[in-house]
Amino acid sequence: MIRPHHQILLFGLLVAAACGGAAPRGELPPPAPTLAPSDTACLIAAGRPASRDTVTIALTDPIDPAHAPLPRNVAERFVFAQLYETLIRVDCRGRVLPALARSWEQGPEGRWTVTLRSDARFWDGAPVTAQDVLAAWRARDSSLARAVTVPDDRALSIDPTGLSFQRFADPALAVTKSAPGGGWPIGTGHYWTTGSAAGAEALRASPVPGAGLPALKVTVAPASEARDAVDANADLLLTSDPAALDYGRTRSEYQDAPLGWDQTYVLLAPDGSSLELSALRLETLPQAVHVEARPAQADDGGFWLVDLKRCGLAAEAPSTHAPPRRRIVYEQADRDARDLAARLVGLAALGRGAVVAGLAPAAFEPAFRSGAEAAYVLRVRRRTVDPCAAARELPAWVPRGSITPLIDTRTHALVRRGLPRLSVDWDGAVRLVPR
Amino acid sequence: MSFRARILIGLGLIVLFPLAVFELRVRADMADRLTAQYQRRVASLVAVIRADLSRDSAGIAGRLDALKDAIAADNRFRLAALQGTDRAYLLDYAGNAMRFTGLAMLQIQDEQGRIISSGHFRNEYDRAEPELPRLLATAPGGTALLEARTAEATLLALARVDALRLGGRRLTLVGGVAVDSSFLARLAPDSDLAVSLTLPTDPLARVDSTAQVVGTLAVPFVGLRDSPGMGEARIVVTHSLAPLAVLRRRVDAAFAAAVLLSGAIAVLLASWLSNWISRPLRELARRTAEIDMERLDIRFESDRADEIGALSRLLGAMTERLRAGAARLREAERRIAVGDLARQVNHDIKNGLIPIRNVFRHLLEAARGGPDRLAAALQDRQGTVESGISYLENLATNYARLSPQPAREPCDVNAAVRETIRRVADASRGALKSELADALPAVRTDPLVLRRILENLIGNALDSLASPGGTVTVGTTRGAGGDGGRAVVRITVADTGRGMSREELNRAFDDFYTTKPDGTGLGLSIVRRLVLDADGAIRVETAPGAGSKFIVELPGEGE
Repeated sequence: MIRPHHQILLFGLLVAAACGGAAPRGELPPPAPTLAPSDTACLIAAGRPASRDTVTIALTDPIDPAHAPLPRNVAERFVFAQLYETLIRVDCRGRVLPALARSWEQGPEGRWTVTLRSDARFWDGAPVTAQDVLAAWRARDSSLARAVTVPDDRALSIDPTGLSFQRFADPALAVTKSAPGGGWPIGTGHYWTTGSAAGAEALRASPVPGAGLPALKVTVAPASEARDAVDANADLLLTSDPAALDYGRTRSEYQDAPLGWDQTYVLLAPDGSSLELSALRLETLPQAVHVEARPAQADDGGFWLVDLKRCGLAAEAPSTHAPPRRRIVYEQADRDARDLAARLVGLAALGRGAVVAGLAPAAFEPAFRSGAEAAYVLRVRRRTVDPCAAARELPAWVPRGSITPLIDTRTHALVRRGLPRLSVDWDGAVRLVPR
Repeated sequence: MSFRARILIGLGLIVLFPLAVFELRVRADMADRLTAQYQRRVASLVAVIRADLSRDSAGIAGRLDALKDAIAADNRFRLAALQGTDRAYLLDYAGNAMRFTGLAMLQIQDEQGRIISSGHFRNEYDRAEPELPRLLATAPGGTALLEARTAEATLLALARVDALRLGGRRLTLVGGVAVDSSFLARLAPDSDLAVSLTLPTDPLARVDSTAQVVGTLAVPFVGLRDSPGMGEARIVVTHSLAPLAVLRRRVDAAFAAAVLLSGAIAVLLASWLSNWISRPLRELARRTAEIDMERLDIRFESDRADEIGALSRLLGAMTERLRAGAARLREAERRIAVGDLARQVNHDIKNGLIPIRNVFRHLLEAARGGPDRLAAALQDRQGTVESGISYLENLATNYARLSPQPAREPCDVNAAVRETIRRVADASRGALKSELADALPAVRTDPLVLRRILENLIGNALDSLASPGGTVTVGTTRGAGGDGGRAVVRITVADTGRGMSREELNRAFDDFYTTKPDGTGLGLSIVRRLVLDADGAIRVETAPGAGSKFIVELPGEGE
C-alpha cells in the first residue's frame, strides 16, 4: 500500500530520532565492542542459522516501500531493519554496536572519524563509500550533512557539536540510494528485496551472499487474524493483540517475548483548552485499551516530550486561542487512541457533552497542526535520541499547550523455538543477526 | 353594448358558471374525501407504530431476559463482577453481548448505579448514573426513549431496564434499540407518509396543517442532560397533501380545457346566433337610417313570420304614413311660403311706393301753386322717384330670382343713413335727427339690404312715436368687435316712443308679431334676417315708456 509521502511526516518525524538509549550525549562511545557469542542479553532467539532455509514472519501492520527507510509501525520497523543499515546499532541495553561503521575514534581537533566497513556493499554490488553516506544524509538532514567532511572513500569526519553519537543509529540516517524505476530504495542490509509478493505474502527477502542467514518470507494480515498465522506455523509473529498472544501462549512450540515499552500515548491540548485532568483517575486508562498497557512512565531523564523547555521551544511558541470545538481527536486507524479518547470523554475530561472524533490521516495531520480541537490523543515513540529535533517538528502550539502522557504500550514477539538469532535493538526493532 | 356582445356574454355565463360551480364542487368533495382518507391512513400508521413499539419493547425485554440467563451462567463474568478479576472481560462484556443480542445500547450497572460495563460506550465504565434505571422503571409500559451517551455522539434509543441478582448483588441491565433515521424510515410504509421524532429538548417546530395531515404518538422520554426526569417525546406521522395538490392541478387543468372548449363553442354559437338575430336588425337599422324627409321611398317588405318580420312590416307602414304626411307637409309649407312671400312682397312694395306716393302728394301740392312750383318740385323730387323706382326694380329682380344672392360691396353707412332720412323726411314731420360719426369704415354688404334695414328700423321708430314732439335719432359710431378687436360700424336707431315690455321684447323679432293695427309683423323679422345675412348683430335696449333703441353692428372693412 503506497500512501502519499506527506502523510508520513508527522509520525515519521516523531520517531525519526529514535535510538541511542540512555547513552550520554555528545560523547564518543567506547570503541566498538565485540559481543561474545554467549552474550544473549538482547536475543529473543538463539538457534543455529542453518536450522532454517526460510523463516516466515507474520506481521499485522501494512508495509509501504515509500516509507523506507523510516518506519511508521512495527511491521515496517522489522522489515526496514533487515533491509537497511545505519552506521551503528544500539542494542536493547544501549550498547553501541558497529553496523556500516567498522570503527570510530576522536581526532586531534575533537572531530569524530568514522571508518566504514570495507566489505559494505549496496544490493546492486556497488561498494558503499563515504560520499554515498553523505548523499543519503544530505537528503534527510542537511544540517547534519554540513557537519560532515569526507577525507577519503571510507572515512567520515564529523563535527560533534550538538550531536549525540547514538543519532547515527537513527533509521532516518540509514544509507540508501534510489532504485532505477522506483520501488524499494537500494540498501546495504543483510537482506535485499526487489518487490512485493502476491496475496497475503507481503514480500520475500533474500540474504546477501555470505551473511549466513535464512531467506525471509513476510506475511501481513489484520491483527484479528494473527492467530491464523500461529496456526500456519509462522516462525515469528509480532503483535500486540491480546487474543493472539493468549492463543500463542497455549502453543508449546512458541515462546512469548515481550519487547520494550516503546510507544507512549499522549494527550495534547492547546493552550486555553478546557481540559481538566487533575480530578480524573488516569491510572484506570490501561483498562481502556485492548493491548498490553501500563500508566505512562518516564525514564530517569523524564519523558522527552514533556520536557521541551530545554529545547527553547516554549518561549518561541505563539499563544493559541481557546479551541472552539469540544472534542478529542485521534487518528482513525489507531484503535488504542480511540479507546483512550473515549475513556477521557467518559471521565468528562472536557466536561459533559464532549465527544471524540476519529480523523483519517489526511485530515488528522492538518487538524493537529491547526490546534483547533480541544485535545488530541497521539502515539509517539517513548524514547528518542534527539528530543529537540523531534520536538521542532511538532506544531508550534504544542510547547505552550498541555502535554499529558497517558499510557505506555509494547509489542510482543511470538517466536517459534529454535529460530536463528533474533536480536532486539534499543528502539524495539527485531533483526536477524549472523552469528 | 352591442346585441352581439350581450349574446356572447350571456352564452359565456350560461356555459361557464355551471362549469365553475361543478369544478368547485368537485374540488371540495375531492379534498374532503382524500383528506379523510389520509387521516385514516395516518391514524392507522400511528396504531401500527404503537404496535411496533410494543413489539420492539417485548423484543428488548426478551433479549435482556436471555442476557440475564447468560450472565447468571457465566462464571468468568461472576468473578470479574464480584471479585474484580479479569477487568478487561467485564469491560468488553456488554459490547460483545450487545452485538450478540442485536441491541444498539446496553449497559450493566451495579447497585449504586455505577456503570460496570457498557456496550455503546465501553470506556464510560465507573461512571455513576443511578437515575437512568430508576426512571426507566417508572416509564409506562416499562419502555422509554432516552439519549444514551457514546464517545462520538448521543444515541437515541428505545430502552428497557431489567435486573438480576448475582452473588447477593443487584445488577441492572439497560438495553435498547437505536431510534435513528432508518428506524423511523422503517416505520413509514411509503413515501407519502413520513415519520419523525420530536424530543422535549427540541425547539418547537410548527406543523403546517395545510400541507400535510398530522398524527402524533406520545412516547415516554428519559432526559438525563441537565436535570434527570421523565418527559414525553412525540412520534409525528405526517401525510403529505402533495397528491391532493397534484389531483387538484389535474382537475384544474381538465376544467381549464373544458372552459376553453366550451368557451370556443359558446363563441361560435353566440356568433352564429347573434348574426342570425342581428343581421336583419342591422339591415332594418340601415334602411331606417336612410329615411329622411327627402327620401321616404325605402321599402321594408319582409316575408318573415317572426318579430323581426312584424317589425319590418311596421316600419314599412310607418314609412308609408311618413310619405303621406310629408306630402301634406310640403303642400302646407308651399302654401305658407307663398303666403309669406306675398306678404313680404306686399310689405316691400309698400315701402317702395311710400316715397313715390309722398312725391306725388308733393307734386300735387306744388301743381296747385303753379307750373313753376311743379317744375321745381319735380326737379327737386325726381331723385326720390327714380330711387323708389330703382328700389322696386331691384326688388322685382330679387323676387324674380326667388333666392336672392346679395351682391356685397363696400357701403358707406353714413351715406345710406342720410339717403334714408332724406327719403322719409316727409313722413317724419321733423322728428328725425341724425348723429353720424366721421371716418367710419365701409361695411361690405348689399346696399339694398342696408337700405331695407335702415328703412324698417327708422319706419318702426317713427311709427312708435305716440305724441307730437317725440324724436327718432339715427346715429352711427365706430366700435370694436368681440373677435380680436376688428372694427364694427354701430348703427343706433333710438326713439322716444312708448318702449316695449319684456313680453313684447321677447316676441319683437318673431314673424307676424306686431303691435300696430295695420302692421304686418314682418319688419323686425326681416331686419334680423338681413343683419344676420350681413354677418352682423342686432340688439334692443328698451323699457316701457322709455322708448326703444335698436343697435345694429355690421363688420367694418379692412383694418
